[in-house]
Amino acid sequence: MKIENSHTFKGVSVEALWNTLQNKEVLRGALPGCKSFEEVEKDVYDAELGINVGPVKGIFTAEVRQVEKREPEFYKLLVHGKGKPGEIDAEAEMRLEDSEAGAVLTCSADVKVTGILASVGQRVMGGVSKLLLGQFFKDIEKETKKIANL
Amino acid sequence: MTTVVGTSLKRKEDPKLLVGTGYFSDDIKLPGMLHAVILRSPHAHAKIKSINVEEALKSPGVVKIYTGKDLEGKIGRIPSSWLVPDCNLKEMPQYPLAIDRVRYVGDGVAMLIAEDKYAARDALDLIDVEYEVLEPAVHQKKAMAEGAPLVHDEVENNIAFHWKAGEIPEEIFKTAEVVVKESFHVQRVAPSPMETRAAVGDYHPATGELTLYCTSQNPHIHRMVLSGVLGISEAKLQVIVPDMGGGFGGKIGVYPDEALVGYASRDLQQPVKWIEQRNEHFMASNHGRDEIIDVEVAGSRDGKLTAIRVKNTANMGAYLSTMGPGVPTIDFGLMITGSYDIPHASCETFGVYTNTTPTDAYRGAGKPEATYQIERIIDLFAREIGMDPLDVRKKNFAPKEAFPYTNAQGLVYDSGDYEKPLKKALEIIDYEKLRKEQEELRKEGKLIGIGLSTYVELCGFGPSAVAGAIGFQGGVWENSTVRVHPSGKVTAFAGTSPHGQGHATTFGQVVADKLGIPMDDIEFVFNDTKSVSMGWGTYGSRSTAVGGGAVSMAADRVVDKAKKIAAHELEVSTEDIEFENGVFKVKGVPGRERTFQEIARSANYAWNLPEGMEPSLEGQAFFDPENFVYPFGTHIVVVEIDQDTGEIELKRYIAVDDVGRVINPLTASGQVHGGIAQGVGQAMWEGIVYNDEGQLMSGTFMDYTMPKARFFPEIENSFTETLSPVNPLGSKGVGETGTTASIPAVMNAVVDALEPFGITDIDMPLTPEKVWRAIQKGREQA
Repeated sequence: MKIENSHTFKGVSVEALWNTLQNKEVLRGALPGCKSFEEVEKDVYDAELGINVGPVKGIFTAEVRQVEKREPEFYKLLVHGKGKPGEIDAEAEMRLEDSEAGAVLTCSADVKVTGILASVGQRVMGGVSKLLLGQFFKDIEKETKKIANL
Repeated sequence: MTTVVGTSLKRKEDPKLLVGTGYFSDDIKLPGMLHAVILRSPHAHAKIKSINVEEALKSPGVVKIYTGKDLEGKIGRIPSSWLVPDCNLKEMPQYPLAIDRVRYVGDGVAMLIAEDKYAARDALDLIDVEYEVLEPAVHQKKAMAEGAPLVHDEVENNIAFHWKAGEIPEEIFKTAEVVVKESFHVQRVAPSPMETRAAVGDYHPATGELTLYCTSQNPHIHRMVLSGVLGISEAKLQVIVPDMGGGFGGKIGVYPDEALVGYASRDLQQPVKWIEQRNEHFMASNHGRDEIIDVEVAGSRDGKLTAIRVKNTANMGAYLSTMGPGVPTIDFGLMITGSYDIPHASCETFGVYTNTTPTDAYRGAGKPEATYQIERIIDLFAREIGMDPLDVRKKNFAPKEAFPYTNAQGLVYDSGDYEKPLKKALEIIDYEKLRKEQEELRKEGKLIGIGLSTYVELCGFGPSAVAGAIGFQGGVWENSTVRVHPSGKVTAFAGTSPHGQGHATTFGQVVADKLGIPMDDIEFVFNDTKSVSMGWGTYGSRSTAVGGGAVSMAADRVVDKAKKIAAHELEVSTEDIEFENGVFKVKGVPGRERTFQEIARSANYAWNLPEGMEPSLEGQAFFDPENFVYPFGTHIVVVEIDQDTGEIELKRYIAVDDVGRVINPLTASGQVHGGIAQGVGQAMWEGIVYNDEGQLMSGTFMDYTMPKARFFPEIENSFTETLSPVNPLGSKGVGETGTTASIPAVMNAVVDALEPFGITDIDMPLTPEKVWRAIQKGREQA
């Protein structure tokens, strides 16, 4: 399943956005349903996320890796998550670009799911992912502005 | 003589179900009963690296967790029961729980048992399985390609079997005036009975007996197979099927789950219940169909077909299920000529292992697929030569005079008169007028389509010698006992296994007529292997033809004995006794008579029986028919398609079926209606979908559309009666006719409606989107 969403961070520079996205504390606060988020080695994190997608509910333990980092314009997230409704494997490309209005963050992800997530959740997952990403973007925007004292 | 056979009686079975007092597997509550749940693989194909049950075992109420490794050597594999010969069949072992590798989404990995079902479900999530995901083989044609992932390492190219029947001389196709080809996919569907599967094991430690309540269409087959799997004597294993909410083939199979429940109850020495959840049913109960059928026919411009060549690539799933291998081979490949006298035929079938749920018999089992390809290709042939498909059918029918008719694949059709139901159906619908109307409406831009299906199908499995020759691991005879109590009331036993068909009513009608007693005096016992001596189950529309035959013979034996007792009491010879409406009379002597009830008492009291006669009045019969039965008929469907939305409206549905003698037109019509709903469901709405990773994408009723009453017009169904010579009732089968006939009838109607756009075929199910896209494509090309 392909998921794509983008957000314009008004008045925020690409560099400021990059720094926020690399801030562990900020990420912990902004990741929807995040219960824990620990860096276990450089650019590798263990996370626990509570997901509640219609009929699909549960705690996911996930390993998140950041690879192919090209500050401040690109990085890739490799996510392997596991929970009672099934497993998630995702590869997300994060692109940061300048625009007149501010930094634009585009996330395009290829997501593979198994189990109930696939058979029940598939239909609603596209929509829900967009919703969760939207929330994430808003939180990041708030944090970025806070850090930058805007 | 008054008769109830042939009259529409309401079903005896219904009142208790209608007032909610049915007794289903999940109604069973036994003291100390534990609850089982099964952890199923979320991957289509993976190695099991480790299973950690520690956390789960600590969860409140958890009693035991079994993994595949725990059961190794303690429980047997689940065998297929249809080992089709001469096709290099490779049956790979299926263990009740996967040991080191999972092969489909839904494959059992562990069974957890707890004190209540909530505790069991909660704890199941705490079992931690580490998988190493492998690439899956999903689509059957891709799975056969070089380099495809192997479902079982030992099976080259994933080919479970390669079966062939019939040969066609090469020049037939080379010299033919017309050759028409098409490839059809009869898509995978889920049987979806109202009640999912269930099992309750109740082991009795003191006697070593195991009572297994389970959902089964064939409790004696379950007993036979599970006694081997569990290593328990058939004499100590009692299988009881409580009320059951449908089967449709999905409950023929002997599954790992029932074996596990029996094993756990014996191991823990406590009753254990397992109830399948609906989403579990979608992934772990056998699916039906999934056959890709490449067909080619040869014929002449005047409409005569001379040969049919078929290649079927059948998706068998990860393991060969109970009847799986027989469906795309024997059931399908020998019926490819349908009701037509086509001199040459050949069929080649590949059964292919894939990382999907196993496929097995589903209502019609092979015959809907066979009928689909022949009824579709005959329409395409008609279009190619510019003839009305009706005329092509008539020209090719096996003629009435030819019966018993041997088809090109060597099957002998018992009796038939294919023009008869066709004629009746054409009259009902006024075919010629309808065609003219269609033409007029087309000019107004309305898309009306008329679809025909003049089918024949193979039903009523028997005789046993043939079953043996085609690799079926069992017999196909039936038995019945008709026991007359001292009062003259009757308890009758039959080996077929009703679960909604109404056997107590139809078989009761047969007994009532034979014995001349009221329906209310007769009770039937089914579905209990301890009460009923043997039975081979309810599938393949065999219950009336084979089971009813046994009932009829058993009742005859009661009458034979009763006549002797009456003759003895009336001091005449048996030849002088005539039996009518429940009274034994001395011919020509009015008033010298005994009622059936009087003789019942005499037989049971045994005060004064003919010399040497044993007491009681009980008839038992074992009936092994000499041949299958071949019901046939004509279905005509009229559709209208909205060209802006692709929506299909079923305008009329006419079904004229010839199922031999109809015992009860009401229940027979019920079978036809239900069968049509499932066939039209396949054509228009239903479909199991896997993605390329082998994930089940249609795992709920939100993603899998079941037919609903409001989707249908009134089904105009009626019967013609051509008796079968191979059983005492003259009946054929009625359970699957609707499904078999309706799939091509709907498709032919839809393709006919779309003729103006040059459309010759669309894949099932006929979703509005697919139809709309076909129309757009047709418009672009025009």
